[in-house]
Amino acid sequence: MTQALEGFLQALTAGLLIGAIYGLMCVGLGLIFGVMRVINFAHGDFMMLGMYAAFYLFTALGIQATFGSALGPFVAILLAGPVLAVFGYAIHLALISRVSGTRTSSLEGEGHYAQLILTLGIALILQNGGLLVFGSVLASIRTPLSSSAWELGPLFFDVSVFINKARGIDAVVSLVTMTLLTLLITRSRIGKSLRAAADNPTAATYMGIDVDRAHRVAFALGTGITAIAGGLLATNYPFHPFVGVEYVIVMYAGVVLGGMGSIIGAFWGGMTIGLVQQMSTLVLPTQLQNAAIFVVFLLIIFFRPQGFFGRMVERT
Amino acid sequence: MQGLRSLLPILIFTALYAALSLSVTNSYYQLVMTLVPVWAVFGLSWNLLSGYTGLISFGHAAFFGIGAYATALGQIYFGVSPWVLIPIAAMLGGVAGLVIGFPTFRLQGHYFALAMLAYPLAILYVFEWLGFQEVTLPIQRDNPIAYMQFADPRLYTLLALAMMLGTILLTRMIERSRFGMALLAIKQNEAAAEAAGINTLAWKLRAITLSGAIAGAIGGFYAVVLLVVTPQSVFGMLVSAQALTVAMFGGVGTVWGPVIGSVILIPLAETLNAEAGSRFPGIQGVIFGLAIICVILLAPEGLFWKFRDFLRKRSAPRAGMTPRAPDLPLAAAIPALPNSSRPARSQDEGNVVLEVRNLSRSFGGLKAVQNVSFKLRRNEILGIIGPNGAGKTTLFNLMNGFLRPGTGEILLDGRDMSGRKPHELCEAGIGRTFQIMRPFLRMSISDNVVVGAYVRARTDAEARQLAAEAISRVGLSDIADRVASELTTKELRLMELARALAGQPRILLLDETLAGLGHDEANEVVAVIQRLARDGMTIAIIEHTMQAMVRLVDSFLVLDHGAVIVEGEPEAVTRDSRVIEAYLGKKWVAHAPH
Amino acid sequence: MLRIEALTAGYSAIPVLNGVSIKVEQGQFVAIVGPNGAGKTTLFKTISGIVRPSAGAITFEDTDLLSVHPARRAHLGIAHVPEGRQVFPSLTVMENLEMGAMTEAGRRDWKSNIERIFEWLPVLAERRGQFAGTLSGGQQQMLAIGRGLASSPKLLMLDEPSMGLAPAIADFIFERLIDIRRQSNLTILLVEQRVAEALESADHGYVLEAGRVALEGNNQTLRADDRVRKAYLGM
Repeated sequence: MTQALEGFLQALTAGLLIGAIYGLMCVGLGLIFGVMRVINFAHGDFMMLGMYAAFYLFTALGIQATFGSALGPFVAILLAGPVLAVFGYAIHLALISRVSGTRTSSLEGEGHYAQLILTLGIALILQNGGLLVFGSVLASIRTPLSSSAWELGPLFFDVSVFINKARGIDAVVSLVTMTLLTLLITRSRIGKSLRAAADNPTAATYMGIDVDRAHRVAFALGTGITAIAGGLLATNYPFHPFVGVEYVIVMYAGVVLGGMGSIIGAFWGGMTIGLVQQMSTLVLPTQLQNAAIFVVFLLIIFFRPQGFFGRMVERT
Repeated sequence: MQGLRSLLPILIFTALYAALSLSVTNSYYQLVMTLVPVWAVFGLSWNLLSGYTGLISFGHAAFFGIGAYATALGQIYFGVSPWVLIPIAAMLGGVAGLVIGFPTFRLQGHYFALAMLAYPLAILYVFEWLGFQEVTLPIQRDNPIAYMQFADPRLYTLLALAMMLGTILLTRMIERSRFGMALLAIKQNEAAAEAAGINTLAWKLRAITLSGAIAGAIGGFYAVVLLVVTPQSVFGMLVSAQALTVAMFGGVGTVWGPVIGSVILIPLAETLNAEAGSRFPGIQGVIFGLAIICVILLAPEGLFWKFRDFLRKRSAPRAGMTPRAPDLPLAAAIPALPNSSRPARSQDEGNVVLEVRNLSRSFGGLKAVQNVSFKLRRNEILGIIGPNGAGKTTLFNLMNGFLRPGTGEILLDGRDMSGRKPHELCEAGIGRTFQIMRPFLRMSISDNVVVGAYVRARTDAEARQLAAEAISRVGLSDIADRVASELTTKELRLMELARALAGQPRILLLDETLAGLGHDEANEVVAVIQRLARDGMTIAIIEHTMQAMVRLVDSFLVLDHGAVIVEGEPEAVTRDSRVIEAYLGKKWVAHAPH
Repeated sequence: MLRIEALTAGYSAIPVLNGVSIKVEQGQFVAIVGPNGAGKTTLFKTISGIVRPSAGAITFEDTDLLSVHPARRAHLGIAHVPEGRQVFPSLTVMENLEMGAMTEAGRRDWKSNIERIFEWLPVLAERRGQFAGTLSGGQQQMLAIGRGLASSPKLLMLDEPSMGLAPAIADFIFERLIDIRRQSNLTILLVEQRVAEALESADHGYVLEAGRVALEGNNQTLRADDRVRKAYLGM
């Protein structure tokens, strides 16, 4: 009995901690979709690049030496964000902008497929190119915190909950990043113009907002945010160039669950997926965790495509 | 004969390819020679669904993988031969197509794409969990031929080539039949296809079932050729991407596309993989990624179309030198009739073809159509007018089944038809044209019109016949072979009209058929519509330009804010102060010179 | 101030405007009327750069407008209040007004502009924290106008401000517009279905029919001309 309770609490804690990271990951994708209405199949691979960026910043660029092995990884992860944001900006400028934004506003349905197929192409190049550049050996961002834990409790009946230190810090970093992003989107001039461009690109143009530029900013921001989430994930999970595919459905599930277009919704969607995944370990074999997420994802698409959290932005 | 001649290039290509493959001795290149038609078939199966209907599948690996595993596991656990298993794989693929298609076709746009992407990946994890990480087909020492295990690898190539030829012939047959026309109509405009009497869901399900079956069969064959099946190699994202890439690279919506794409990309990727794969792992995926990106940016419909358009453009200046057949002077051929020369329509109730009773529909708080009632009598031309946002198109959408009425009835010959599907209403005799035309620009007028005929025709020949009649009724017979991209706005409008006529409706709903036409052009179209009415058609027409309307219609129904404000003959309606107020503002009524 | 010469524009195959020429002088109130489908909204979209013309020229204060990026045109002093209002539904009323003030001039004059806008359209002040998507049609129209005014425009373009509104509300908005114009001396280009109302308050009017200018003149001559009625009603 006590053991079952302990297992449950431990899974719940793990779900909340991982959910915080998944939430941030989904927010990156949700931001891009919300503003541009473009589904980015390559988003998981952008996250993979974020993981490697953090990895190399940490090991190769001397951050480990400067900040030490405990704090260093988090500095590297936060730096990976801007690095990938620049990358995202460039990808949008060179490729995505050719099939999205004001250039294709007259194309309606056909434009969407061009975007999807283009991002699929980018995904293939990043995955396989990643294999070329980084090799297939598992990498990880090791910190001594990954293997130590805080003990909460004993709470009652001698039940204690352990919080992995690295995961605890990950969750805190994730929440802080999320808060800052929310402030940026709701309070700043740039954030408001992104929302205006998302609501009605034509009217936004009438206001003097360069919609294509707004899209580029959103794409860069979304890529950077997801890269940070990827880096945080990498402190606990080893990764490889194909890791994106494993998370891409987590991201879509979270974004759809949150109501496509809502940024806060995407966070809660990601959080829910994290909880579902960890709680499912109580009843399902580990290998089926991902399959469970897929099933949840399909169920959401079929039965509640408008999602559960946040408002769906009205679009006619 | 025509059909045979068009097959000639394909037969020649297949023969040349077979000859080439027989001369290759290196076993690795022989494998590549086999893989080209294999991926071509997979691309063709993708093309059958996505190329013709425009619903892009990002998860065709689901069918491929099911076929591959069925063939591998069937041989391992039950000792069944691939000769039997591949047809079974096809059946399983078809069933999977039906099972996946039925719920997924309800989804639209992004959701459809995401769901399709998810299926093979979900199945991939299940197969990994089941412990089928790597399944190897057993080598059959005795009687290998019975197990499709050939000592001479060239036989695999020939077998693959035969499957490719079969798939091409099948695709060709479909392309030219009612099936293919239905799929093309769906790609063009699904709503319009429904309105033309096509049961779009049924045709899409047939397409995905057949597509899944082909993918399943070729997946099974792939397992036999490679002898090893892993979840990644048959369910992976790259597999789905490869189907899509070979087809899109070569050309969407043509049998040549997947073949061209496969012939170029597969040897390129395989060779690079063999030569440099050890130093540059993943080079194959990079090639496919680059290929997709280049296609989307440079030739979104693929090489085949790019090349054909290029040839057409080069020959176009020469064609321009020869004088084009002059447009049929319709106005001269069919003098515009004054209203009085038409048989006077009777007021008697027996002639009411369609009656709308108390029809209402609202969207959120907005009452788009409120309590509209009117009768359409045989031979009548009814003009439905009103300011922007008055609810005219919504009324049409209710009448042809795009929208369900909130309340009210639509009686066709006294039977209530409200709530029926558009294709059912089309079968019952309600034809319709659309404000926004989306013709197939590369297809001729005849091919564009024939789509509308299938709702009546039982055979393809009958459909052609009906289409030809419809084209002659609108006066486009002389240019029936011209492709739509060369037509003027007037000719496109007439073509739309012909398409609606091809289904032999009794009632025609015309949505802004005169929009975008100059004065004289509008008169010509008006003459055609008048002649249709004289020949027994009952017509309701929405129009903004009143000029032409007052001479065309027998009576007007004026809508404002979703409700009927006036109904009556043109003379009276245009003098009615409520109408003038709706159009010109109430101050006009107060100040205007009278 | 604004000069449109021989403008031809349209969507894919169908030309909507066919050689339209229109002139708006500094401080003038010009109304463009015409039946549905005449090309009025397309004309506005071409001025704003959403539709690219196939021939013709548009000059705004000696600038060749067609060579200016659509998003830059607002910064030159052109405010477009679009057909069907098109407020930003998920932004609050205040944020919508801030979006109007994205232009340099709008940012500069923000304080005084917002005061005047709230004075002219007090309902916006009352509802400043509300999401624009939850406003009624009439309130959204006022917000769209306020949003246009917030950019400190030199030229205010209004596309069918009365569309889809109950007559009483449309009347009210029209009165507000006339007030605003009297107090601000703005140059206004108006597209309107309600012909009589539009011509009455305008200095100069154009009747657009099937993509061409069918008639033009001051409001006295146009209102006396039965051809206007014919353009709408055909007989």
